[in-house]
Amino acid sequence: MGSTVDALIRGSGTIDVYVISGEPGREPGMPLLRRGITSPARNYLLAALTVGIASLLANLIFHRTDLADVVMVYLLGILLVATRFGRGPSFLASLLSVAAVDFLFVPPYFTFAVTDFRHVGTFAVMMLLGVVIGNLTERIRAQARLARGREQRTHALYRLGQELARNAESTALVVSAIQNVTNQFQSQGVVLQPDEHGRLQAPAHPLAFPLNEQELGVAQWVFDHAEPAGLGTPTLPGARATYLPLKGSSGAIGVMGVLPQGTPRWAEPDQRQLLEAFANQTALALERALLAEQGSRDRRRADEERLRNALLSSVSHDLRTPLGVITGAVSTALETPDLSEAARRDLLISAQEEAQRLHRLVSNLLDITRLEAGSLELHTEWIPVEEVVGAALNRRELGAEAARIHAEIPEDLPLVAMDAVLMEQVLLNLVDNAIKYSPKGTPVVIKAWAAGKSLTLSVTDQGPGIAPGEEERIFEKLARGEAAASRPGAGLGLAICKGIVTAHGGRIQAVNHPQGGAQFLVTLPLGTAPPMPEEG
Amino acid sequence: MTGSEPLILLVEDEPQMRRFLRVALEGGGYRYLEAPTGQEGLNLAVQYRPDVILLDLGLPDMDGLDLMIRLREWSRIPVIVISARGQESDKVGALDVGADDYLTKPFGTSELLARVRVALRHADPQSAADPIFVLGRWRVDLAKRLVLVDDQEVHLTPLEYKLFTTLIRHAGKVVTQHQLLKEVWGGVAGAQPLYLRVYMAQLRHKLEEEPSRPRHLQTEPGVGYRLKLDD
Repeated sequence: MGSTVDALIRGSGTIDVYVISGEPGREPGMPLLRRGITSPARNYLLAALTVGIASLLANLIFHRTDLADVVMVYLLGILLVATRFGRGPSFLASLLSVAAVDFLFVPPYFTFAVTDFRHVGTFAVMMLLGVVIGNLTERIRAQARLARGREQRTHALYRLGQELARNAESTALVVSAIQNVTNQFQSQGVVLQPDEHGRLQAPAHPLAFPLNEQELGVAQWVFDHAEPAGLGTPTLPGARATYLPLKGSSGAIGVMGVLPQGTPRWAEPDQRQLLEAFANQTALALERALLAEQGSRDRRRADEERLRNALLSSVSHDLRTPLGVITGAVSTALETPDLSEAARRDLLISAQEEAQRLHRLVSNLLDITRLEAGSLELHTEWIPVEEVVGAALNRRELGAEAARIHAEIPEDLPLVAMDAVLMEQVLLNLVDNAIKYSPKGTPVVIKAWAAGKSLTLSVTDQGPGIAPGEEERIFEKLARGEAAASRPGAGLGLAICKGIVTAHGGRIQAVNHPQGGAQFLVTLPLGTAPPMPEEG
Repeated sequence: MTGSEPLILLVEDEPQMRRFLRVALEGGGYRYLEAPTGQEGLNLAVQYRPDVILLDLGLPDMDGLDLMIRLREWSRIPVIVISARGQESDKVGALDVGADDYLTKPFGTSELLARVRVALRHADPQSAADPIFVLGRWRVDLAKRLVLVDDQEVHLTPLEYKLFTTLIRHAGKVVTQHQLLKEVWGGVAGAQPLYLRVYMAQLRHKLEEEPSRPRHLQTEPGVGYRLKLDD
């Protein structure tokens, strides 16, 4: 067996060969048949019983009326049987009724012999009526059944349509489609979508059934040919599940797989049509969602592009200014012949200051790049807030301005799980910001307190504060408050702070302090630090 | 030059950095030697036995960490690594395999010379013998296990004292978390960086005037701690 398959695959050249093994020992359709027998047997029995009851009733009235009324009673019984139990039982009832009339009410009584030839005509008419009634009621019943089935299908489709319309997002949409298929067909559903190379990917939906290589091969065939295949179809019927293509406006956009529990309900043509309608509706909704998502991705990319350009132009300006100062100052110091020592020193100091500014800008650029690339890894440890504050205040970047900063950190604060390097950067940026936007010599105060399940750090200055409506915007990249318009800096510092604090699961806010000045609040979640052993 | 000044070897591939460092080091009164590659640096170290090596971690021909390990196979020459910001793990790696200290680019001349002075002092076997350690308001008698702040005795727990004296032994140099945990907590199973931070905080509250702006017991975020000396 294996060798035949191998030879086939070897000889197939560029033709894809999917090997699907059949499952011997399973006979689909059996349970359905057995259920089909039990129910009619009961109906025939009830038909016979109805004739019996009719006989009793006829017997009661027979002495007061003539044979025509007796026949009416039986016809009533036949009508009853036909409407309740269908054509077969009604034929039986007709037959039994004729026999009963002959036996009970036509002389000679209690024999099937007929002496009066007129009675044969009565029996023939009775039989004919029985058959006609049976056929008519059966047709009505069939129509009613069809209508009910149609209504159910319409309802199921309508519900699917409604749920698909509610989900604008493609993943949610797929989940809802699968749930609908699962409920409607008592089966497990799966929706497979292709990757960028057109290979179907097995989905990670909890209701989905697992697909092995073979099943995935069938699904791939369905996707490539945009035709149904698998169980219950002429193509690859050996598969465990039925696969239907999700046809978009330009070819298949995915595949819906349905794995039945027991006999597939879609073996009947109307259910099969319903399943196909489900697939079509899902395809339409999915295509719409995918297009919308593509659109919003494109828009976001355009936004990013615009922001990147703005950043570039802002950065190149911010890079050129200090570079210009450094070049100018150094070349003046070098090339001016009779420069006083004091003037030379002055030039070099300004070159040094600008170099530091340049350094800070480049660091910020690196940070924001790392934040946006998502390559920022948190090395969290349990750290006292005081230590991070101390590290930030000892940074030489702050220079003489460090004297303006006052830290009021209570001794009994709980430890916080944070990345020491990054949180130090947050504090440094906030303090640096406060120094930049408040009058020289005014104090900048750092405070910390714990409340409930979080710890808050605040940096407060005595500057002009934040313009109303800018409280959120100043954390956006390149967005700078009105006060900042005339000052250097690319507006990255606060965006970096926000990125780092958010990565810690915390929140950063800017408010105006009731007593004037801006206040930045960093709120970090508090966990439970591991216990410290007692020193013995 | 008399030839008695300490000899500094600089291993650095950037010509402009070498130029600046040569001026700074010679201006500081040191003899100076330079190598643009790691291999040449190792050769010069064998040949001249410098007193301090300045090693850039971003060399083109070999990994700075490998160079550190190879150097430490035969020599205890103090090494100060030079690296950029954001490479904390590289620094810690180099320190843990035996580098003595680090400088983060960009740095100024005064910082450079201070680090070199500390490295030289630690290499001098006589400096470790003094049982009295004095720094600012602090006076520590290592023989009598006595810690005085403004001539007032301060009581330290045994672990606090051990942590403090470990930092004193490495005064001026950075000590990594790993080193401190090993030297202070020794074999204690499950000793964590958390212990270190808590005990450092306790030390600061007992010894520093302003614990949230420590003058001497400084944190090097992501690396370790440094007992900073007055320049």
